[in-house]
Amino acid sequence: MSRWKSLIACMFIGVYVSFLSWGVMAHALKVGLCGNTLSYFVVWDMFCGWTAWDARTHIIAEDSKGNYFEVREPWGEFHPFGHVARIHYDNTNHLLPAHINNVLKHSVHEGIDRVYVVEEVWPKQYNLPPKLYAHYFDRPNDKLSYFHLRAVCAEDGTPLSSFPDWHTQQRLNAVYDNPRLQRQSKQATAMYSTLFTPTSQDSGKTLNSSYNTGLSTN
Amino acid sequence: MNLPATNSLPKTQLGRFFFLREVPFGVAMVRMMLPLAAGTPMFMRFPHVRELYTSDGAPVQMFELFGHGSVLPVLPPNLAVPLYSLLLLSLITAIIGFRTRLSLCIATTLYIYFNFLDGVGTMTKYSVIASHLLLLLSISNCGAVWSIDAFLKKRSATGAEVVPSSFPVWPARLMQLLFAHVYFGAAITKIQTDSFFSGEQMRYWMLSNWNYENPVGEVMAMWAPMLLISAYMSVVWEMMFPFLVWRPMGRLFVLGLGATFHFMTWLTLGLYIFPAICVSGYFAFASERDVLIVRNFVRRVGVARFAKWPAAIGQRTLNRIPRAVPAGVVWTCMAAFCAIAATEAELRLDIYGTNTAEGGYRLKPMDSTVARTMIDRQQQNIREQDKFFNFEIGTQTVGELLANRRTEFTFGELMLAQANLNPPHEDMWIECLLKDEENRTIEQFGQFVTREMLRANFTYKIGNKLVPGNYQMVLKSANQEIYHRKFLLSGTPGTESSVSSVLTN
Repeated sequence: MSRWKSLIACMFIGVYVSFLSWGVMAHALKVGLCGNTLSYFVVWDMFCGWTAWDARTHIIAEDSKGNYFEVREPWGEFHPFGHVARIHYDNTNHLLPAHINNVLKHSVHEGIDRVYVVEEVWPKQYNLPPKLYAHYFDRPNDKLSYFHLRAVCAEDGTPLSSFPDWHTQQRLNAVYDNPRLQRQSKQATAMYSTLFTPTSQDSGKTLNSSYNTGLSTN
Repeated sequence: MNLPATNSLPKTQLGRFFFLREVPFGVAMVRMMLPLAAGTPMFMRFPHVRELYTSDGAPVQMFELFGHGSVLPVLPPNLAVPLYSLLLLSLITAIIGFRTRLSLCIATTLYIYFNFLDGVGTMTKYSVIASHLLLLLSISNCGAVWSIDAFLKKRSATGAEVVPSSFPVWPARLMQLLFAHVYFGAAITKIQTDSFFSGEQMRYWMLSNWNYENPVGEVMAMWAPMLLISAYMSVVWEMMFPFLVWRPMGRLFVLGLGATFHFMTWLTLGLYIFPAICVSGYFAFASERDVLIVRNFVRRVGVARFAKWPAAIGQRTLNRIPRAVPAGVVWTCMAAFCAIAATEAELRLDIYGTNTAEGGYRLKPMDSTVARTMIDRQQQNIREQDKFFNFEIGTQTVGELLANRRTEFTFGELMLAQANLNPPHEDMWIECLLKDEENRTIEQFGQFVTREMLRANFTYKIGNKLVPGNYQMVLKSANQEIYHRKFLLSGTPGTESSVSSVLTN
């Protein structure tokens, strides 16, 4: 093997192994990965948590006459990893606007006024087959789904209003169900007309802004 | 087989680890298996190429999921479909080893591109591992053996017998190091995941329907000790993997465990492609010596003549190819043909139905009452029973989870009644009542269950307050009876009195 080839091989080995090691170290210590797309190639978080509730996304369109339609691919859903349609894997809701726009653009329908995005959740124990469920729980499988409005969108998928997801809403309900916390949050420092900008005294000709939108929470 | 003598052997151990020369049998086997495993889901996505990867569909790039917007160009269907067909062709020609390096370079680039285009329905960790392996294959010499390229090279060689060339092993080493990092990183993830070592996370994954059928997993999900043991075993194996895999006996052990682990993910979680990709990558650990051992064994057991059939059939087929036709021209013609055929096929599939009478398919109407019920913003109150996963009685715990479900008890035993909760739940007050068969309450215990708790335990020492007969433990929450667990009490009451105590987590 020529000297040049050896040198290039050594460099490639060094870079590649460093790249892999950086991913493992950064993931273990939780540094340097936030917002980095390439980190997806070196962070091995294949098992980062599963909830006790199963969830599906339903999209319902309403036309100007008050008729409702399922916004589901009329040409057949694509099931990427099992028997569940692609839209249900969209945990971050990045696909949602594009999906709504694509389905409505490529299907025949009346003019759509609003599109509702509804989350359906149910406890996972009801996923057991009937025989197993009867054996372990000794009670009827009376699965009840809970529906939760997540967003209201326009016909092109543009979100008009959005709401916390079901899990977040339950946590907020549990925390807010506390008169003392309610009282304290209502007595918090008001945002309007109370915040002072230090540079406002000297400037007036230039537009100053911070990169962040203020103190952020967890 | 006569192998060329290794000259200029690296002097250091690290040098020998990366630059020892061997015939690349291992990476050749990876070359034949990996594109098959990685290509199967890509073949399945062909009918939906327009929808998933083109400007006439709904692609969502990985960059968007990480907050960087659309970085990659999204092509129109008339460009994306031929490129997709080129990806599929490259994977096939990589398997058979025809223009291997070109095929692998094209396959790697297009595989990463199309996976990046669909961060929701295509890109996943198995595609990441496959991308790494494809990249390393494309810089290796995996086409030097067991390939059409090797046959064509042999055919064009004149004079002395052609023996497989040996090459530095560093591409195979990098594949091995990749697996070491993957498993170690996966162990870190599991250690950082709440409730992994108590079995709840495994249980909820096995009860999910996000992958294919997993009947074994559904049974295992209800047996807590099995979940706990497998959780610890998997983490210990993943941590030990990098330290044992390069030792002679350790290699067989950890790779065998790995194959078992991935087989179990298929059985218990319904994963198909992930285990296939990982196991195909395991062939990178096969050395030249391993292949010679297998070859000698095959000869010894007398099946060598059957093993020669694939090579004989391949040789007869390839001998029909005129020598004058350059392989590059053949490959290019194949690519052009595939691109044209794929474009025509995709147009005929007409996924959106634009060639129908109406110019598309109609949306399915919904019942107004059903729709309004689903849309209504008024919060549904969660039923009390849905806040609980289960309620069981027994006597033994393993890792804080009840390990044995019992329906019969004797005097003197310490009964444990355990309620498992479904998070998220609010702070609750729950009760456990001991009732007889006539529904009369004998004992009552209660405790607070705060929102972060996943289970609540009640213990009861069965003493002389009871008589033999049928009883039931009843779980109550918000004054509603949620679960009834019947049991038979047998034996003779002793002198010990019943003592009940409430244990919190």
